[in-house]
Amino acid sequence: MVRKLVAAAAGLAAVLLVPPLVGSGGDADVGERVRGLRVLVPNSPGGGYDVTARTAAKAMEDAGLASAVEVFNLPGAGGTVGLGRLVNERGNGKLVMSMGLGVVGSVYTNKSPSSLADTTPIAKLIEEPDIVVVGKDSPYRDIAGLLTAWKADPGGVPVGGGSSPGGPDHLAPMLMAKAAGLAPRSVNYVPFDGGGELLASVLGGKVAFGVSGVGEYRDQIQAGELRVLAVTGPERIAGIDAPTLREAGLDVSFTNWRGIVAPPGISDTDRERLIAAFARLHSSPQWRDALARNGWTDAFQAGPGFGEFLAGENRRVAEVLKELGLA
Amino acid sequence: MDQLWDGFATALTPTHLLLAAVGVILGTAIGVLPGIGPAMAVALLLPVTYGLEPTGAFIMFAGIYYGGMFGGSTTSILLNTPGESAAVVAAIDGNPMARSGRGAQALAAAAIGHFVGGMVGTTLLVVLAPTVAGLAVGLGAPDFFAIMVLAFAAVTTVLGDSRVRGVASLLIGLTIGLIGLDEMTGQQRLTFGSLELADGIDVVIVAVGLFAVGESLWVAAHLRRNPARPIPVGTPWLGRADLRRAWKPWLRGPLIGFPFGALPAGGAEIPTFLSYATEKRLSKHRDEFGKGAIEGVAGPEATASASAAGTLVSMLTLGLPTTAVAAVMLAAFQQYGIQPGPLLFERESTLVWGLIASLFVGTVLLLVLNLPLAPLWARMLRIPRPYLYAGILFFAMVGAYAVSGQAADLLVLFAIGVIGLVMRRYGLPVLPAILGVILGPAAELQMRRALQLSDGALTGLVNTTFSITVYAVVALLVLWPLVRKARSRT
Amino acid sequence: MTWLRERSELGVCAVLAVLGALVLVDALTIPTDFATRGPIGPKAVPVLVGAALLVVAVVLARDVLRGGRGAAEGGEDVDLSAPGDWRTVLLLCGAFLAATALIGTAGFPVAGFVLFWGAAYALGSRGHVRDPLIAAAVSVLTYVVFDVLLGVPLPGGPLMGVL
Repeated sequence: MVRKLVAAAAGLAAVLLVPPLVGSGGDADVGERVRGLRVLVPNSPGGGYDVTARTAAKAMEDAGLASAVEVFNLPGAGGTVGLGRLVNERGNGKLVMSMGLGVVGSVYTNKSPSSLADTTPIAKLIEEPDIVVVGKDSPYRDIAGLLTAWKADPGGVPVGGGSSPGGPDHLAPMLMAKAAGLAPRSVNYVPFDGGGELLASVLGGKVAFGVSGVGEYRDQIQAGELRVLAVTGPERIAGIDAPTLREAGLDVSFTNWRGIVAPPGISDTDRERLIAAFARLHSSPQWRDALARNGWTDAFQAGPGFGEFLAGENRRVAEVLKELGLA
Repeated sequence: MDQLWDGFATALTPTHLLLAAVGVILGTAIGVLPGIGPAMAVALLLPVTYGLEPTGAFIMFAGIYYGGMFGGSTTSILLNTPGESAAVVAAIDGNPMARSGRGAQALAAAAIGHFVGGMVGTTLLVVLAPTVAGLAVGLGAPDFFAIMVLAFAAVTTVLGDSRVRGVASLLIGLTIGLIGLDEMTGQQRLTFGSLELADGIDVVIVAVGLFAVGESLWVAAHLRRNPARPIPVGTPWLGRADLRRAWKPWLRGPLIGFPFGALPAGGAEIPTFLSYATEKRLSKHRDEFGKGAIEGVAGPEATASASAAGTLVSMLTLGLPTTAVAAVMLAAFQQYGIQPGPLLFERESTLVWGLIASLFVGTVLLLVLNLPLAPLWARMLRIPRPYLYAGILFFAMVGAYAVSGQAADLLVLFAIGVIGLVMRRYGLPVLPAILGVILGPAAELQMRRALQLSDGALTGLVNTTFSITVYAVVALLVLWPLVRKARSRT
Repeated sequence: MTWLRERSELGVCAVLAVLGALVLVDALTIPTDFATRGPIGPKAVPVLVGAALLVVAVVLARDVLRGGRGAAEGGEDVDLSAPGDWRTVLLLCGAFLAATALIGTAGFPVAGFVLFWGAAYALGSRGHVRDPLIAAAVSVLTYVVFDVLLGVPLPGGPLMGVL
């Protein structure tokens, strides 16, 4: 419940903090501007998809790429309530949904009747790598030491994450386990209510290690309270002295990502227009500023490419969750 | 200490004093609106502070926060519709007080409770912040589960005259608490495939449904038709007898609330209830509880404010948000490019001490501004009954709808309201059901988390000194009445 | 008939028993091949709660048959000497459900108006001019405060689209 309220409240803050719009740029060709686009956010105000959607909507308006973009929330069941609505709006070329990796897993855990394969992929926008982290008093000095202990006794090395089963922080250690030759079922994953609650357990040494997005923990890392053992993405993170999992000999690369999908059955013209709009958003200075401000990694991928990526992620998630009995 | 005086020098400049006052007033006004608790109040008023420098902005937040907390209990007392989970307990005795013409006293007891809780809590924050923060991180799932067991043991004091009916009510609450995805494994429980139910039912919706909607329906069934006399207003001030009964609960509350607020699994629901149960146990007027005992308002309200101060301990020293408000404030810090965490006190010393000093100032302002308003608020209940209950239902609907924006939540609210009606008809007390919804999911989560951390060993539940101590206290509480009975027999 | 009427609380027992059975059945149908860590899985607590509901249903039934009665809750506005006025309750329920149905299509101001006026009417207020005026004022004011001033979105509906 706290999570819901936090999200609601923080989101409202985000909405209201946005200063009033200045007149749109005017240099873009008016004929190409998207008018009356609606963006469905499948989680509460303030959640990740919400911030992404509102930031993108504002950047689009500021850059003169679109006018009167309306962002609205339809939260519930890890995003699958919103997904169901989107799939029902078949052929609606003026509606898109902001989503991410979490929705892929929720489709399975919530046994949702509609899936992402029903949607029209528009674009992947951003990525955020996860980190493998321990408290400063932890016996594990590096990722190799942790992996040795983990393989020896997976049950005795509990791993904490800030998302419920099927969410990004749950999938990352499962994929790590598979790469290390451990059955996902043997992993002792302890879910916490978001990164904040997990932080206390990592600091207090209640869990052997934690897996979480890097954003919330920067200050603790800087203060030396937390030790980062590895980065889950394909590249190192600036300012954090830790190898990637690949460098540590674990063949897994995992990043949390967010993107945009549209309803099924929209016309080719509508699809092209939406893809073009997000491509132009991607190259706008307003979006670059927004990425820097929020600490997001640019990971743009348009239409068909994003579709293939989605299908790949879906397979990867389904495989892990099936082994766990969740799908 | 020097830093605190510097903090006061910051907080007491005319501009900052004015900002704190504006914050308290706005916070109270918005906190009174249905569905908007302190977290939303802070979030909604963030833009108002946007043009200020950080210190001024946070001084205003402090005012909004405390104002919002108080506003939430105002509706709880006057209309039986708690605006947020910390104010649920205040409705139990606060609303009957208001109905019998003692609304001003209930509000005053709440306002002074918030004042005492805020003062004691903030003082403890200044003195104990680093120590408490260290201890809080040291506690884990087994310790939290032990606290839940203690809370369940305390439920026995509020089961009412008929044990079996009290237990039935508790079980109804536990059943409602089961609805949704299992937090540990993601399995669906009692959702019947409905995606709307997958996130479970919010405790505020349950409380508003059982209290406000259930009561409105029950009153409709047996409305007094004789010439409607308005609710009496009575004397506007706390009498000597009230003060004599309330001062101890005011002082005891913070001792329960502050440590809870600092815990990662803390929040205000469980400590406010524990305070209520404690006051009921200790009171000489035990049978007045549930019918308008002033202790039942004074204690929990002081607890709620002190737990807010405890929340700030974890947030300022660890960057750890333990409640919704703390999370919003954390987001606000980040908007100003400030990262709360272990380095905050060093890097932003002026701001932090200014904020702490302004907590004291805000607490005083809250009391000064709201105490005179209490009789005015209480007069609001003089409107004719049909409007009063129509207004309560309207309030309940707005509160349930505003946050989620889903009509399905209104149906859930209505269904729970009907349960509340049936429970009133057949003498099932409502309070145990609410506690079931609050305690059940939390206790299950902590128990299973503890067992998972110990990899299934049952000793994982009792492997800390803290948990063993708490279980000893529980044993004493349960056994003491038996011992006393045995002794009185011999 | 009167025997049953006097013991209508047995209905509560029946509801509790049905609820218990429902919780038990739901718990037992949670897939078992699931990777549960530790001795206590997602089933344990629901099974406990369901079983306890059944036990309480039986104990309560015994209490009722032995003459125990739950005391209906009193209160300042409650007159227990009068027989239950279920017509008012139904009217009130109708107002609430109508508002629920209307909020998505007709918007919040209309739904709030229906709820307030309907509830006031059900509870015996007969100001045929004053009631609707107050209801309209309350619901439009709330809409403006939430949607316009605070930025908490409420559906305006076609009416607000016109205004």
